Amino acid sequence: MSRLDTLRGPVPPHDHNARTIAALAANPGCNRRAVMDAAGIDKEKTARHLGHPATVGQSVFAIIRANAFEEQVKANGCAQLLKLLREKLDLSLPEVSYDDVNNVGDDRGLRHSRTRTLLRQAAEDRGGGTLFDHPVLKLNIAGKSVYLEPALIAFQLKGRFHVVEIKSFAVIDGQADPGQVAAAARQSAVYVHALRELFAERNLDPALVSHDVILVCPENFANTPTATLVDVRQQLTVLKRQLSRLTRIDTILDELPMGLTFDLMHDQDGTPTRSRDELLKAISEVDARYAPECLASCEMAFFCRDEARACGSTDALGRTVRDQLGGLESVATVLGLAHGTLLAAPDQAEIASQLRLVRQFRLEATA
Amino acid sequence: MGRLLSCGIVEDPLDALEERITKLRAQVREAKAAGDHARVKLFRAQLADAERAWNAALEEAPAPPPSPPLLPLREQVHQALTLLGVPTPSRLIVSVNEAFFAGHLSSSQLTSLRRDEERSFRTTPYSRPYYLCAALTADLLAPARGLLAVSTWPLATRIVGPLSSRTDFLTAAIRIAEHIARLEAPGESAYRLLTRMAQNIPGAVDDFDQAVPARVIAAAEAELALHREADQTQRAEAAARATKQLDAVGQFFGAGLKSAARTA
Repeated sequence: MSRLDTLRGPVPPHDHNARTIAALAANPGCNRRAVMDAAGIDKEKTARHLGHPATVGQSVFAIIRANAFEEQVKANGCAQLLKLLREKLDLSLPEVSYDDVNNVGDDRGLRHSRTRTLLRQAAEDRGGGTLFDHPVLKLNIAGKSVYLEPALIAFQLKGRFHVVEIKSFAVIDGQADPGQVAAAARQSAVYVHALRELFAERNLDPALVSHDVILVCPENFANTPTATLVDVRQQLTVLKRQLSRLTRIDTILDELPMGLTFDLMHDQDGTPTRSRDELLKAISEVDARYAPECLASCEMAFFCRDEARACGSTDALGRTVRDQLGGLESVATVLGLAHGTLLAAPDQAEIASQLRLVRQFRLEATA
Repeated sequence: MGRLLSCGIVEDPLDALEERITKLRAQVREAKAAGDHARVKLFRAQLADAERAWNAALEEAPAPPPSPPLLPLREQVHQALTLLGVPTPSRLIVSVNEAFFAGHLSSSQLTSLRRDEERSFRTTPYSRPYYLCAALTADLLAPARGLLAVSTWPLATRIVGPLSSRTDFLTAAIRIAEHIARLEAPGESAYRLLTRMAQNIPGAVDDFDQAVPARVIAAAEAELALHREADQTQRAEAAARATKQLDAVGQFFGAGLKSAARTA
């Protein structure tokens, strides 16, 4: 791990949370993000020093709204949630037990051990414990423990535990914003994974944790909640792969030059003193795979976008376009093939003829 | 009458000052016309003083408070808790107060209440007829988060087990429905509160209809019958344990888990 420490420099590593872990799974192909996250580098500061400050982050209003909705659903011993679970998932009437882990205080370590005790009790003598509020889970990321606080509850339904995720985006006419649902599913997958790890650690069957997550959202234009089951198996697979990549980060590191560091060289006041060009050179040593989706989840996104644009990479145009261009990597090649100024290599013949055809259409249409 | 009187008192000094200012201005003019510079200076200084006083009085004049609550905070909370008869989260206390009583509570006012009561009890125990205290969790006998109870209730009522949040919710709904049935002309907000609660009780109300107290009581009783026995056994057991293990302060405000958490 000493190489990661060299990369980060003499500052304490940045902590992960469910959001950052979920973001890992959002773009598994990006080496830059994998390396920086594994080393626990403060990406936000790095991006700012490079002159591309991130604007990602949650709006205050969104956070207030989310908290208010969560509080509403959980009020009076989760009265609204119980009603939903009974109606939509056939929770039996006697299953109403509610435990608030927060009763042991704010300390996360204490809350984690309390969560463990409660879940074990529930798993061992079936029937005890239905709703667990404010649980704290722990996950090992690249050799470091990270505390996770599922927005809600792990809950027992027909002998299986489910993660309940409360989100404040609306489900209108049975449809929700696919981007938001995907983000919620990725985040919940982190909790499911952590919960399964906890069960495995305690010699309990990890399959007791369901891969179906209960997503609670406001319905239509009112504030009444509705619940849907979301299958997170796919997200779990991606997450597991990404996490195993983090632990096998050495293979990526081996290809990097020795002594490479992203250290910002903070002075006593915490102002970065490292020369920008030097840092730029160091960062460019690690390949990024930029996609427009990165803008929503990665602090380095603006820097990577600039880089992708500067070298005319087709990545900057989004995954759909890139896939349609059949693996051509730069915009210049695409235009060259379309204009016929570039000679197509044998493996590019097909896409080249298509591009020329498209250009023909465009010329006719705009003539 | 009272309002008129209070207006008179509030505006009196301002009126007097304005009169004085007008008078001084006239005097300044007179003195100036007479060419008496010493007097001009004197009146000007007095005028400036009067204006300063006028400004200050204007700042001080308080906006009349919107009909101040008749009962102190803890009395209002006690009233709501007595109606409900079970340990209650502060938000529900506020709703009950709004629906049936003065309606001057807000959740933020309740946050420090329990701590104040505990301090008062520690310094002079049993000097008040009742204390607003914590509900204790059945397994750890620690104060349950966000719940308020009354010290005169039996210990078993003040203890919350895993099932208690549901049974207490149902009991609260029944008590509210009973109170509405008792009232001659219950307000809109009382029905709104009951309907909101009834929507989460199976069979208590249809969709968005207004709740009918008798039906809510029947539905809540039906569900309560499912949980009551188990819940009461848990509570009674914990209460027996608490009587043995905890001193008076502990029984009202919870075992010293907080200090354990701090050292952990």
